[in-house]
Amino acid sequence: MLLNVQSAGCKKIILIMLLAYVLLFLNAGGVSAHGVELEFTERSTVEVTARYDSGDPMAGAQVAVFAPGSPAEPWLTGVCDSSGRFFFVPDPAIPGLWEVQVRLAGHGGLIRIELAEGNIEPSRSTGFSGLQILIMAAAVIWGFVGTALFYSRKRA
Amino acid sequence: MHIPDGIISTSALISGYAATGGLTWLSLRKIKQRYANPRSVIPKAALLTAAFFAASLIHIPIPPVSVHLVLSGLMGVMLGWFAFPAVLVGLLLQAIMFQHGGLTTLGINAIIMGLPALLAFSIFRLRYIFGRDKIVPNAILAFIASFLAVAFGAMIVAVMLVYATPSYLDAAAERNAIIALTLAHIPVAVIEGIFTVMVVLFLLKVQPALLGSEQG
Repeated sequence: MLLNVQSAGCKKIILIMLLAYVLLFLNAGGVSAHGVELEFTERSTVEVTARYDSGDPMAGAQVAVFAPGSPAEPWLTGVCDSSGRFFFVPDPAIPGLWEVQVRLAGHGGLIRIELAEGNIEPSRSTGFSGLQILIMAAAVIWGFVGTALFYSRKRA
Repeated sequence: MHIPDGIISTSALISGYAATGGLTWLSLRKIKQRYANPRSVIPKAALLTAAFFAASLIHIPIPPVSVHLVLSGLMGVMLGWFAFPAVLVGLLLQAIMFQHGGLTTLGINAIIMGLPALLAFSIFRLRYIFGRDKIVPNAILAFIASFLAVAFGAMIVAVMLVYATPSYLDAAAERNAIIALTLAHIPVAVIEGIFTVMVVLFLLKVQPALLGSEQG
């Protein structure tokens, strides 16, 4: 209807639109037609990134999300994308400790995400940087070398 | 090759710990019986445990998976009955430091890597039959021992994982991933076989006494 009068003057369009709105308003309580209601709410999305400790993404890894209180039955299952990422929106009505399990051929792990009153607490990452790994490995290896030296010392 | 926490069932974890306890007991008993002075082997065991500990940090990308060196064969060939306790210590430190494996799965992982080490040990001991000081039998046995150790370990992992796939996972996809992982260990087995042969031949030349796992 509105399309037909688009060439007409501005005032006329406004008038017709107003009329249309009034008609719609009057009609609203009656039979519902093909009306679509779109709402939006902001929800926090959880992004889980799964990488091997070598840094390669775990593409195609299977993901199981467990809601708090049901550790046996997954709330959601899915698959990581090619860069090892998986997104999900936890139900804000279930606060508590959400668990996300990622596995690919037995490689995998569990990450716990604290959801308190709709807010997601950032969880502690267990990943170490390359330098940290190097220092830790060197410390342990030095421990072994020290043990070897201790037991191979000449007796006094 | 390490199974992390939260993948397999509690009963499997407990069985793993029980089996590891038994094998540790057996190893320590054999060490006590066969070595006049077990302390003299500890420097060798400590250094090889360091190598085993660090080996898992060396990644070999074999698409679609990433695998790492295991060195269970070398441990068995070099350490004999010391191999199992050494693997156990190495795995404990890997689990604590790098979350590689896990503390609940320590028992299972010790079986996955320690049992093949003992297999490698018993294969390499055949050199006493085929010629202890000859190069060829030593090289062949070292390769077979090391290759089979990795293959055997990968096999245990595959069986364990297929058995432990939870019902909510896509079983077919997981099985394919497990098969890919297992096949990816064939190159690792070859690499480790060659590496063990190199170590054995080197020691045979410079310090053959270090290869004898029974001397005290």
